[in-house]
Amino acid sequence: MTVTAASPALLHRVGDRALSWLDDHREHFRLTPDDFASNGAVVERLKPIGELALNMQVLFREGVAGSRQKARAGQLLDFTWRELLDGGNVLARLQHDEPLSPVPLEVYATFHELGHRHPGLEAAVEVCRRTTSWTALEMMPNRRLGVLNAERKLGLAPSSDFDRAVERTWLGQLPEPWTVQLHIAYDLTHTVFHLTNWGEAPERIPEAVADYLTRYLPAWMEDWADLEHWDLLGELLVVDACLPRPTLDAELWERYAAAQSATGAMPIQRRMPQGDAARVFDLVHHPTLVAAFASAMATSRAMSAA
Amino acid sequence: MAEQTQGAVPLSAVIADAATGVALALRGEGDPYALSGILRQSDALTSAAVRVLGADALAPYAVEHRAAPVGADDEAVVRQALAAYPPGADASQVSVWSYRGLIEASHAFLPAGAQPWPAPPEAEAAWVAGDPWPKLSHRVSQVAALALPGLAPGLAEQLAARTDDLARGFVRAVRRRDWLQAAGLGRWLARLPDAPSTLGLDSGLAFIRQMGGADPRVALHVVAAQRFYGRGW
Repeated sequence: MTVTAASPALLHRVGDRALSWLDDHREHFRLTPDDFASNGAVVERLKPIGELALNMQVLFREGVAGSRQKARAGQLLDFTWRELLDGGNVLARLQHDEPLSPVPLEVYATFHELGHRHPGLEAAVEVCRRTTSWTALEMMPNRRLGVLNAERKLGLAPSSDFDRAVERTWLGQLPEPWTVQLHIAYDLTHTVFHLTNWGEAPERIPEAVADYLTRYLPAWMEDWADLEHWDLLGELLVVDACLPRPTLDAELWERYAAAQSATGAMPIQRRMPQGDAARVFDLVHHPTLVAAFASAMATSRAMSAA
Repeated sequence: MAEQTQGAVPLSAVIADAATGVALALRGEGDPYALSGILRQSDALTSAAVRVLGADALAPYAVEHRAAPVGADDEAVVRQALAAYPPGADASQVSVWSYRGLIEASHAFLPAGAQPWPAPPEAEAAWVAGDPWPKLSHRVSQVAALALPGLAPGLAEQLAARTDDLARGFVRAVRRRDWLQAAGLGRWLARLPDAPSTLGLDSGLAFIRQMGGADPRVALHVVAAQRFYGRGW
Protein backbone atom coordinates (compact mmCIF):
# COMPACT_ATOMS: atom_id res chain seq x y z
CA MET A 1 0.00 0.00 0.00
CA THR A 2 1.80 3.12 -1.17
CA VAL A 3 1.01 6.66 -0.10
CA THR A 4 0.32 9.34 -2.69
CA ALA A 5 2.72 12.27 -2.41
CA ALA A 6 1.47 15.85 -2.41
CA SER A 7 2.22 18.00 -5.44
CA PRO A 8 5.14 20.44 -5.17
CA ALA A 9 2.68 23.25 -5.94
CA LEU A 10 0.58 22.47 -2.86
CA LEU A 11 3.66 22.08 -0.67
CA HIS A 12 5.11 25.35 -1.90
CA ARG A 13 1.89 27.33 -1.53
CA VAL A 14 1.68 26.64 2.21
CA GLY A 15 5.11 28.18 2.74
CA ASP A 16 4.56 31.09 0.42
CA ARG A 17 1.43 32.07 2.31
CA ALA A 18 3.11 31.59 5.68
CA LEU A 19 6.01 33.81 4.64
CA SER A 20 3.58 36.52 3.56
CA TRP A 21 1.94 36.49 6.96
CA LEU A 22 5.30 36.53 8.78
CA ASP A 23 6.49 39.46 6.71
CA ASP A 24 3.21 41.33 7.11
CA HIS A 25 3.51 40.93 10.88
CA ARG A 26 7.22 41.47 11.28
CA GLU A 27 6.77 44.43 13.62
CA HIS A 28 5.23 42.06 16.16
CA PHE A 29 8.59 40.30 16.53
CA ARG A 30 10.16 43.50 17.86
CA LEU A 31 11.20 43.70 21.51
CA THR A 32 9.48 46.48 23.41
CA PRO A 33 11.00 48.64 26.16
CA ASP A 34 8.94 46.58 28.61
CA ASP A 35 10.56 43.39 27.33
CA PHE A 36 14.02 44.81 27.97
CA ALA A 37 13.13 45.32 31.64
CA SER A 38 13.68 41.60 32.34
CA ASN A 39 16.02 39.05 30.82
CA GLY A 40 13.32 36.44 31.08
CA ALA A 41 11.16 38.48 28.74
CA VAL A 42 14.10 39.03 26.38
CA VAL A 43 14.69 35.29 26.18
CA GLU A 44 11.00 34.76 25.50
CA ARG A 45 11.07 37.26 22.65
CA LEU A 46 14.34 35.97 21.21
CA LYS A 47 12.91 32.51 20.63
CA PRO A 48 10.58 33.55 17.78
CA ILE A 49 13.29 35.80 16.33
CA GLY A 50 15.72 32.90 16.25
CA GLU A 51 13.08 30.71 14.66
CA LEU A 52 12.28 33.36 12.08
CA ALA A 53 15.94 33.54 11.09
CA LEU A 54 16.16 29.77 10.93
CA ASN A 55 13.24 29.69 8.57
CA MET A 56 14.70 32.22 6.21
CA GLN A 57 17.94 30.27 6.24
CA VAL A 58 16.17 27.02 5.39
CA LEU A 59 14.41 28.77 2.53
CA PHE A 60 17.71 29.99 1.07
CA ARG A 61 19.49 26.72 1.67
CA GLU A 62 16.84 24.52 0.07
CA GLY A 63 16.65 26.81 -2.96
CA VAL A 64 12.90 26.42 -3.27
CA ALA A 65 11.93 30.10 -3.07
CA GLY A 66 10.86 31.98 -6.16
CA SER A 67 12.61 35.31 -6.85
CA ARG A 68 9.89 37.38 -5.20
CA GLN A 69 9.79 35.11 -2.18
CA LYS A 70 13.57 35.12 -1.95
CA ALA A 71 13.75 38.90 -2.00
CA ARG A 72 11.10 39.07 0.69
CA ALA A 73 12.95 36.57 2.86
CA GLY A 74 16.22 38.48 2.44
CA GLN A 75 14.63 41.73 3.51
CA LEU A 76 13.01 40.05 6.46
CA LEU A 77 16.32 38.58 7.55
CA ASP A 78 18.11 41.94 7.31
CA PHE A 79 15.31 43.48 9.32
CA THR A 80 15.72 40.77 11.95
CA TRP A 81 19.47 41.24 12.36
CA ARG A 82 19.65 45.02 12.11
CA GLU A 83 16.41 46.16 13.64
CA LEU A 84 15.32 43.44 16.02
CA LEU A 85 18.75 42.39 17.26
CA ASP A 86 20.55 45.71 16.73
CA GLY A 87 23.32 43.96 14.79
CA GLY A 88 23.76 41.37 17.54
CA ASN A 89 23.97 43.86 20.40
CA VAL A 90 20.77 42.52 21.94
CA LEU A 91 22.37 39.06 22.10
CA ALA A 92 25.65 40.43 23.49
CA ARG A 93 23.77 42.31 26.19
CA LEU A 94 21.86 39.24 27.28
CA GLN A 95 25.06 37.20 27.27
CA HIS A 96 26.70 39.84 29.46
CA ASP A 97 23.83 39.64 31.94
CA GLU A 98 23.60 35.84 31.89
CA PRO A 99 27.01 34.55 30.82
CA LEU A 100 26.13 30.86 31.08
CA SER A 101 22.87 31.09 29.15
CA PRO A 102 23.08 29.15 25.89
CA VAL A 103 20.32 31.26 24.32
CA PRO A 104 22.52 34.00 22.78
CA LEU A 105 24.76 31.33 21.26
CA GLU A 106 21.83 29.39 19.86
CA VAL A 107 20.24 32.44 18.23
CA TYR A 108 23.56 33.82 17.01
CA ALA A 109 24.58 30.54 15.36
CA THR A 110 21.95 30.93 12.66
CA PHE A 111 22.97 34.49 11.85
CA HIS A 112 26.61 33.45 11.84
CA GLU A 113 25.84 30.78 9.26
CA LEU A 114 24.19 33.47 7.19
CA GLY A 115 27.32 35.61 7.30
CA HIS A 116 26.57 38.06 10.11
CA ARG A 117 29.25 38.62 12.74
CA HIS A 118 29.50 40.04 16.26
CA PRO A 119 33.11 39.49 17.41
CA GLY A 120 32.41 40.76 20.93
CA LEU A 121 29.73 38.16 21.49
CA GLU A 122 31.91 35.41 20.07
CA ALA A 123 34.79 36.29 22.41
CA ALA A 124 32.52 36.38 25.45
CA VAL A 125 30.88 33.07 24.59
CA GLU A 126 34.25 31.41 24.08
CA VAL A 127 35.37 32.31 27.60
CA CYS A 128 32.24 30.79 29.09
CA ARG A 129 32.40 27.72 26.90
CA ARG A 130 35.76 26.84 28.43
CA THR A 131 34.31 26.52 31.90
CA THR A 132 33.32 23.16 33.32
CA SER A 133 30.02 24.75 34.20
CA TRP A 134 29.14 25.09 30.50
CA THR A 135 29.21 21.32 29.96
CA ALA A 136 27.70 20.60 33.38
CA LEU A 137 24.63 22.79 32.79
CA GLU A 138 21.54 20.70 33.41
CA MET A 139 19.18 20.59 30.49
CA MET A 140 16.86 18.27 28.59
CA PRO A 141 18.84 15.89 26.36
CA ASN A 142 17.33 17.26 23.15
CA ARG A 143 18.17 20.81 24.27
CA ARG A 144 21.76 19.70 24.85
CA LEU A 145 21.75 18.50 21.28
CA GLY A 146 20.60 21.98 20.24
CA VAL A 147 23.52 23.61 22.01
CA LEU A 148 25.95 21.16 20.43
CA ASN A 149 24.46 21.87 17.03
CA ALA A 150 24.80 25.62 17.61
CA GLU A 151 28.48 25.11 18.42
CA ARG A 152 28.88 23.10 15.25
CA LYS A 153 27.24 25.86 13.21
CA LEU A 154 29.79 28.29 14.60
CA GLY A 155 32.65 25.94 13.75
CA LEU A 156 33.55 25.50 17.41
CA ALA A 157 34.87 22.32 18.97
CA PRO A 158 31.85 20.58 20.49
CA SER A 159 31.61 20.88 24.27
CA SER A 160 30.56 17.22 24.57
CA ASP A 161 30.13 14.11 22.42
CA PHE A 162 27.33 14.50 19.89
CA ASP A 163 26.54 10.81 19.43
CA ARG A 164 26.28 10.21 23.14
CA ALA A 165 23.98 13.22 23.41
CA VAL A 166 21.76 11.66 20.75
CA GLU A 167 21.66 8.39 22.67
CA ARG A 168 20.45 10.19 25.76
CA THR A 169 17.40 11.69 24.04
CA TRP A 170 14.01 10.01 24.14
CA LEU A 171 14.19 9.27 20.41
CA GLY A 172 17.74 7.96 20.65
CA GLN A 173 16.51 5.16 22.88
CA LEU A 174 13.73 4.05 20.49
CA PRO A 175 11.08 3.60 23.20
CA GLU A 176 7.62 2.12 22.75
CA PRO A 177 6.01 4.30 20.08
CA TRP A 178 2.53 3.99 21.59
CA THR A 179 3.70 5.95 24.66
CA VAL A 180 4.17 9.16 22.66
CA GLN A 181 2.28 12.09 24.12
CA LEU A 182 2.29 15.74 23.09
CA HIS A 183 5.47 16.69 24.95
CA ILE A 184 7.31 13.54 23.94
CA ALA A 185 6.35 14.27 20.34
CA TYR A 186 7.90 17.74 20.55
CA ASP A 187 11.01 16.23 22.15
CA LEU A 188 11.45 13.84 19.28
CA THR A 189 10.85 16.42 16.55
CA HIS A 190 13.47 18.69 18.12
CA THR A 191 15.92 15.83 18.35
CA VAL A 192 15.56 15.41 14.59
CA PHE A 193 15.87 19.17 14.00
CA HIS A 194 19.13 19.43 15.94
CA LEU A 195 20.49 16.14 14.68
CA THR A 196 20.04 17.21 11.05
CA ASN A 197 20.82 20.91 11.59
CA TRP A 198 17.25 21.82 10.77
CA GLY A 199 16.97 19.46 7.85
CA GLU A 200 20.29 20.33 6.24
CA ALA A 201 21.86 16.91 6.81
CA PRO A 202 19.15 14.22 6.97
CA GLU A 203 21.85 11.57 6.56
CA ARG A 204 22.99 12.27 10.11
CA ILE A 205 19.91 10.44 11.45
CA PRO A 206 21.26 7.05 12.56
CA GLU A 207 19.85 4.20 10.51
CA ALA A 208 18.02 2.61 13.42
CA VAL A 209 16.35 5.93 14.25
CA ALA A 210 15.39 6.48 10.61
CA ASP A 211 13.87 2.98 10.47
CA TYR A 212 11.97 3.64 13.67
CA LEU A 213 10.61 6.95 12.39
CA THR A 214 9.71 5.49 8.99
CA ARG A 215 7.68 2.83 10.74
CA TYR A 216 5.85 4.88 13.36
CA LEU A 217 5.74 8.48 12.16
CA PRO A 218 2.67 7.81 9.96
CA ALA A 219 0.73 6.72 13.05
CA TRP A 220 1.60 9.90 14.95
CA MET A 221 0.92 12.16 11.96
CA GLU A 222 -2.47 10.58 11.37
CA ASP A 223 -3.41 10.89 15.01
CA TRP A 224 -2.43 14.53 15.44
CA ALA A 225 -4.05 15.40 12.12
CA ASP A 226 -7.27 13.90 13.49
CA LEU A 227 -6.80 15.98 16.64
CA GLU A 228 -6.25 18.98 14.32
CA HIS A 229 -3.07 19.89 16.17
CA TRP A 230 -1.51 21.81 13.28
CA ASP A 231 1.53 23.02 15.20
CA LEU A 232 2.70 19.50 16.04
CA LEU A 233 1.55 18.05 12.72
CA GLY A 234 3.74 20.67 10.99
CA GLU A 235 6.76 19.58 13.01
CA LEU A 236 6.05 15.93 12.25
CA LEU A 237 5.80 16.80 8.54
CA VAL A 238 9.29 18.30 8.81
CA VAL A 239 10.52 15.02 10.31
CA ASP A 240 8.90 13.14 7.44
CA ALA A 241 10.74 15.35 4.97
CA CYS A 242 14.02 14.48 6.73
CA LEU A 243 13.62 10.73 6.26
CA PRO A 244 15.41 8.72 3.57
CA ARG A 245 12.08 8.07 1.85
CA PRO A 246 9.65 10.82 2.85
CA THR A 247 5.97 10.10 2.31
CA LEU A 248 4.95 13.76 1.71
CA ASP A 249 1.48 12.28 2.24
CA ALA A 250 -0.94 14.18 0.00
CA GLU A 251 -3.94 13.51 2.20
CA LEU A 252 -2.21 14.91 5.30
CA TRP A 253 -0.80 17.91 3.46
CA GLU A 254 -4.21 18.74 2.05
CA ARG A 255 -5.70 18.76 5.55
CA TYR A 256 -2.77 20.83 6.79
CA ALA A 257 -3.09 23.34 3.94
CA ALA A 258 -6.84 23.60 4.51
CA ALA A 259 -6.21 24.61 8.13
CA GLN A 260 -4.18 27.65 7.07
CA SER A 261 -6.11 30.91 7.36
CA ALA A 262 -6.73 33.22 4.42
CA THR A 263 -4.00 35.52 5.73
CA GLY A 264 -1.43 32.69 5.70
CA ALA A 265 -1.33 32.17 9.47
CA MET A 266 -1.54 28.61 10.79
CA PRO A 267 -3.54 28.02 13.98
CA ILE A 268 -2.00 25.93 16.74
CA GLN A 269 -4.99 23.64 17.03
CA ARG A 270 -8.35 23.57 15.30
CA ARG A 271 -9.19 27.10 14.13
CA MET A 272 -7.66 30.57 14.29
CA PRO A 273 -7.86 32.23 17.70
CA GLN A 274 -9.75 35.48 18.13
CA GLY A 275 -8.60 38.63 19.89
CA ASP A 276 -6.37 41.64 19.37
CA ALA A 277 -3.51 41.49 16.89
CA ALA A 278 -0.76 41.12 19.51
CA ARG A 279 -2.48 38.21 21.22
CA VAL A 280 -3.20 36.43 17.95
CA PHE A 281 0.42 36.92 16.94
CA ASP A 282 1.65 35.38 20.17
CA LEU A 283 -0.55 32.35 19.58
CA VAL A 284 0.04 31.68 15.90
CA HIS A 285 3.57 32.82 15.10
CA HIS A 286 5.06 29.45 16.03
CA PRO A 287 2.74 27.23 13.98
CA THR A 288 3.12 29.66 11.08
CA LEU A 289 6.93 29.49 11.29
CA VAL A 290 6.64 25.71 11.38
CA ALA A 291 4.42 25.82 8.28
CA ALA A 292 7.09 27.76 6.41
CA PHE A 293 9.74 25.30 7.58
CA ALA A 294 7.74 22.21 6.69
CA SER A 295 6.86 23.64 3.31
CA ALA A 296 10.46 24.47 2.40
CA MET A 297 11.69 21.02 3.42
CA ALA A 298 8.88 19.10 1.75
CA THR A 299 9.01 21.16 -1.46
CA SER A 300 12.73 20.59 -1.67
CA ARG A 301 12.34 16.83 -1.22
CA ALA A 302 9.46 16.66 -3.71
CA MET A 303 11.49 18.48 -6.33
CA SER A 304 14.63 16.45 -5.79
CA ALA A 305 12.61 13.24 -5.98
CA ALA A 306 11.00 14.41 -9.21
CA MET B 1 -25.02 -4.42 19.67
CA ALA B 2 -27.23 -2.87 22.33
CA GLU B 3 -30.42 -4.48 21.14
CA GLN B 4 -32.56 -5.84 23.93
CA THR B 5 -35.26 -8.38 24.27
CA GLN B 6 -38.17 -7.54 26.51
CA GLY B 7 -37.34 -7.70 30.16
CA ALA B 8 -34.07 -9.49 29.51
CA VAL B 9 -30.43 -8.59 29.90
CA PRO B 10 -28.93 -6.70 26.95
CA LEU B 11 -26.90 -8.57 24.37
CA SER B 12 -23.78 -6.63 25.34
CA ALA B 13 -24.00 -8.07 28.84
CA VAL B 14 -24.42 -11.60 27.49
CA ILE B 15 -21.38 -11.12 25.27
CA ALA B 16 -19.38 -9.68 28.16
CA ASP B 17 -20.21 -12.64 30.39
CA ALA B 18 -19.33 -15.12 27.67
CA ALA B 19 -16.05 -13.31 26.91
CA THR B 20 -15.20 -13.42 30.60
CA GLY B 21 -15.88 -17.16 30.62
CA VAL B 22 -13.64 -17.73 27.60
CA ALA B 23 -10.84 -15.59 29.06
CA LEU B 24 -11.03 -17.43 32.37
CA ALA B 25 -10.78 -20.75 30.57
CA LEU B 26 -7.78 -19.55 28.55
CA ARG B 27 -6.10 -18.59 31.80
CA GLY B 28 -6.82 -22.05 33.13
CA GLU B 29 -9.09 -20.71 35.84
CA GLY B 30 -12.64 -21.52 36.79
CA ASP B 31 -14.61 -24.65 35.94
CA PRO B 32 -13.71 -26.72 32.89
CA TYR B 33 -14.95 -24.83 29.86
CA ALA B 34 -18.04 -25.74 27.95
CA LEU B 35 -19.52 -23.31 25.47
CA SER B 36 -22.97 -24.65 26.24
CA GLY B 37 -22.27 -23.92 29.90
CA ILE B 38 -21.79 -20.20 29.38
CA LEU B 39 -24.25 -19.78 26.51
CA ARG B 40 -27.24 -22.08 26.78
CA GLN B 41 -28.91 -23.16 23.58
CA SER B 42 -32.32 -22.24 24.89
CA ASP B 43 -31.42 -18.61 25.65
CA ALA B 44 -32.72 -16.16 23.10
CA LEU B 45 -29.49 -14.25 22.72
CA THR B 46 -27.11 -17.17 22.53
CA SER B 47 -26.83 -17.27 18.76
CA ALA B 48 -26.26 -13.53 18.55
CA ALA B 49 -23.54 -13.75 21.18
CA VAL B 50 -21.82 -16.65 19.41
CA ARG B 51 -21.97 -14.64 16.20
CA VAL B 52 -20.19 -11.73 17.86
CA LEU B 53 -17.56 -13.91 19.56
CA GLY B 54 -17.00 -15.90 16.38
CA ALA B 55 -14.19 -18.41 16.64
CA ASP B 56 -13.46 -17.20 20.17
CA ALA B 57 -16.52 -19.08 21.38
CA LEU B 58 -14.41 -22.19 20.80
CA ALA B 59 -11.01 -20.72 21.69
CA PRO B 60 -10.59 -22.72 24.91
CA TYR B 61 -10.74 -25.92 22.84
CA ALA B 62 -7.67 -24.77 20.95
CA VAL B 63 -5.65 -25.11 24.12
CA GLU B 64 -3.71 -28.32 24.18
CA HIS B 65 -4.43 -30.84 26.92
CA ARG B 66 -7.86 -29.43 27.61
CA ALA B 67 -9.37 -30.91 30.71
CA ALA B 68 -12.93 -31.69 29.66
CA PRO B 69 -14.15 -33.41 26.51
CA VAL B 70 -16.37 -31.42 24.19
CA GLY B 71 -19.98 -32.42 24.46
CA ALA B 72 -22.77 -32.62 21.94
CA ASP B 73 -24.44 -29.62 23.52
CA ASP B 74 -21.66 -27.40 22.24
CA GLU B 75 -22.17 -28.65 18.75
CA ALA B 76 -25.84 -27.77 18.95
CA VAL B 77 -25.08 -24.23 20.12
CA VAL B 78 -22.69 -23.66 17.24
CA ARG B 79 -24.97 -25.18 14.63
CA GLN B 80 -27.82 -23.03 15.86
CA ALA B 81 -25.69 -19.87 15.55
CA LEU B 82 -24.44 -20.81 12.10
CA ALA B 83 -28.01 -21.41 10.94
CA ALA B 84 -29.30 -18.17 12.45
CA TYR B 85 -26.77 -15.81 10.89
CA PRO B 86 -25.55 -16.95 7.49
CA PRO B 87 -23.87 -13.95 5.83
CA GLY B 88 -26.09 -12.52 3.12
CA ALA B 89 -25.04 -11.20 -0.24
CA ASP B 90 -24.58 -7.71 1.22
CA ALA B 91 -22.68 -8.85 4.31
CA SER B 92 -19.50 -6.91 5.18
CA GLN B 93 -16.14 -8.56 4.64
CA VAL B 94 -15.67 -8.61 8.39
CA SER B 95 -18.94 -10.51 8.86
CA VAL B 96 -18.01 -13.09 6.25
CA TRP B 97 -14.56 -13.60 7.75
CA SER B 98 -15.97 -13.85 11.23
CA TYR B 99 -18.54 -16.43 10.15
CA ARG B 100 -15.89 -18.31 8.28
CA GLY B 101 -13.74 -18.24 11.42
CA LEU B 102 -16.47 -19.91 13.46
CA ILE B 103 -16.82 -22.67 10.85
CA GLU B 104 -13.04 -23.14 10.67
CA ALA B 105 -12.90 -23.33 14.46
CA SER B 106 -15.71 -25.92 14.45
CA HIS B 107 -13.80 -28.04 11.99
CA ALA B 108 -10.60 -27.70 13.97
CA PHE B 109 -11.74 -27.90 17.56
CA LEU B 110 -15.05 -29.75 17.70
CA PRO B 111 -15.40 -33.47 17.01
CA ALA B 112 -17.07 -34.43 13.79
CA GLY B 113 -20.67 -35.24 14.66
CA ALA B 114 -23.25 -37.23 12.81
CA GLN B 115 -23.48 -34.62 10.10
CA PRO B 116 -20.48 -32.73 8.66
CA TRP B 117 -19.84 -29.05 9.32
CA PRO B 118 -20.68 -26.74 6.46
CA ALA B 119 -17.83 -25.74 4.17
CA PRO B 120 -16.34 -22.34 5.03
CA PRO B 121 -17.72 -19.64 2.73
CA GLU B 122 -15.38 -17.91 0.33
CA ALA B 123 -14.13 -14.72 1.95
CA GLU B 124 -12.77 -11.96 -0.21
CA ALA B 125 -9.28 -10.77 0.77
CA ALA B 126 -8.38 -7.97 -1.65
CA TRP B 127 -8.80 -5.49 1.18
CA VAL B 128 -5.91 -7.08 3.08
CA ALA B 129 -3.48 -5.95 0.41
CA GLY B 130 -5.27 -2.80 -0.68
CA ASP B 131 -6.64 -1.00 2.37
CA PRO B 132 -4.70 2.01 3.67
CA TRP B 133 -3.31 1.14 7.10
CA PRO B 134 -5.92 2.94 9.24
CA LYS B 135 -8.79 1.10 7.56
CA LEU B 136 -6.88 -2.17 7.47
CA SER B 137 -6.18 -1.88 11.18
CA HIS B 138 -9.81 -1.29 11.97
CA ARG B 139 -10.94 -4.35 10.00
CA VAL B 140 -8.20 -6.61 11.31
CA SER B 141 -9.09 -5.76 14.88
CA GLN B 142 -12.68 -6.79 14.10
CA VAL B 143 -11.50 -10.24 13.04
CA ALA B 144 -9.19 -10.68 16.02
CA ALA B 145 -10.93 -13.95 16.90
CA LEU B 146 -9.30 -15.48 13.83
CA ALA B 147 -5.91 -15.09 15.51
CA LEU B 148 -6.10 -18.66 16.82
CA PRO B 149 -3.72 -21.53 16.12
CA GLY B 150 -4.28 -23.00 12.69
CA LEU B 151 -7.16 -20.74 11.69
CA ALA B 152 -7.18 -18.63 8.53
CA PRO B 153 -3.62 -19.47 7.48
CA GLY B 154 -4.00 -17.60 4.20
CA LEU B 155 -5.13 -14.47 5.97
CA ALA B 156 -2.22 -14.73 8.39
CA GLU B 157 0.20 -15.04 5.50
CA GLN B 158 -1.22 -11.99 3.76
CA LEU B 159 -1.24 -9.97 6.96
CA ALA B 160 2.40 -10.78 7.57
CA ALA B 161 3.16 -8.55 4.59
CA ARG B 162 1.33 -5.71 6.34
CA THR B 163 3.01 -6.13 9.72
CA ASP B 164 4.38 -2.57 9.80
CA ASP B 165 0.97 -1.19 8.90
CA LEU B 166 -0.64 -3.15 11.72
CA ALA B 167 2.06 -1.86 14.07
CA ARG B 168 1.07 1.69 13.03
CA GLY B 169 -2.55 0.86 13.72
CA PHE B 170 -1.60 -0.52 17.13
CA VAL B 171 0.27 2.70 18.00
CA ARG B 172 -2.63 4.86 16.94
CA ALA B 173 -5.24 2.73 18.70
CA VAL B 174 -3.35 2.83 22.02
CA ARG B 175 -2.83 6.57 21.65
CA ARG B 176 -6.56 7.00 21.07
CA ARG B 177 -7.37 4.72 23.96
CA ASP B 178 -9.40 2.55 21.65
CA TRP B 179 -8.57 -0.49 23.75
CA LEU B 180 -10.70 -2.97 21.82
CA GLN B 181 -9.00 -2.12 18.54
CA ALA B 182 -5.59 -2.02 20.21
CA ALA B 183 -6.10 -5.42 21.84
CA GLY B 184 -7.34 -7.00 18.62
CA LEU B 185 -4.36 -5.67 16.68
CA GLY B 186 -1.98 -6.69 19.44
CA ARG B 187 -3.36 -10.21 19.29
CA TRP B 188 -2.81 -10.43 15.53
CA LEU B 189 0.68 -8.96 15.87
CA ALA B 190 1.39 -11.60 18.49
CA ARG B 191 0.53 -14.26 15.91
CA LEU B 192 2.58 -12.74 13.07
CA PRO B 193 6.21 -13.83 12.90
CA ASP B 194 7.93 -10.46 12.58
CA ALA B 195 6.26 -7.89 14.79
CA PRO B 196 8.93 -5.18 15.12
CA SER B 197 10.83 -5.36 18.40
CA THR B 198 10.68 -1.56 18.76
CA LEU B 199 6.88 -1.76 19.00
CA GLY B 200 7.14 -3.03 22.57
CA LEU B 201 4.28 -5.46 22.01
CA ASP B 202 4.68 -7.28 25.32
CA SER B 203 4.52 -4.18 27.49
CA GLY B 204 1.88 -2.79 25.14
CA LEU B 205 -0.44 -5.73 25.72
CA ALA B 206 0.09 -5.44 29.46
CA PHE B 207 -0.66 -1.72 29.24
CA ILE B 208 -3.87 -2.38 27.29
CA ARG B 209 -5.02 -4.94 29.84
CA GLN B 210 -4.27 -2.51 32.67
CA MET B 211 -6.01 0.44 31.01
CA GLY B 212 -8.86 -1.24 29.14
CA GLY B 213 -9.16 -4.72 30.60
CA ALA B 214 -12.39 -3.89 32.39
CA ASP B 215 -14.01 -4.64 29.02
CA PRO B 216 -14.08 -8.47 28.91
CA ARG B 217 -13.58 -8.49 25.13
CA VAL B 218 -10.36 -6.49 25.56
CA ALA B 219 -9.22 -8.85 28.30
CA LEU B 220 -10.02 -11.85 26.10
CA HIS B 221 -7.78 -10.63 23.25
CA VAL B 222 -4.91 -9.93 25.63
CA VAL B 223 -5.24 -13.35 27.28
CA ALA B 224 -5.41 -15.06 23.87
CA ALA B 225 -2.21 -13.29 22.75
CA GLN B 226 -0.51 -14.60 25.85
CA ARG B 227 -1.98 -18.11 25.90
CA PHE B 228 -1.47 -18.95 22.24
CA TYR B 229 1.49 -16.84 21.21
CA GLY B 230 3.33 -16.14 24.45
CA ARG B 231 3.19 -12.37 24.07
CA GLY B 232 2.40 -9.87 26.82
CA TRP B 233 2.64 -10.46 30.53
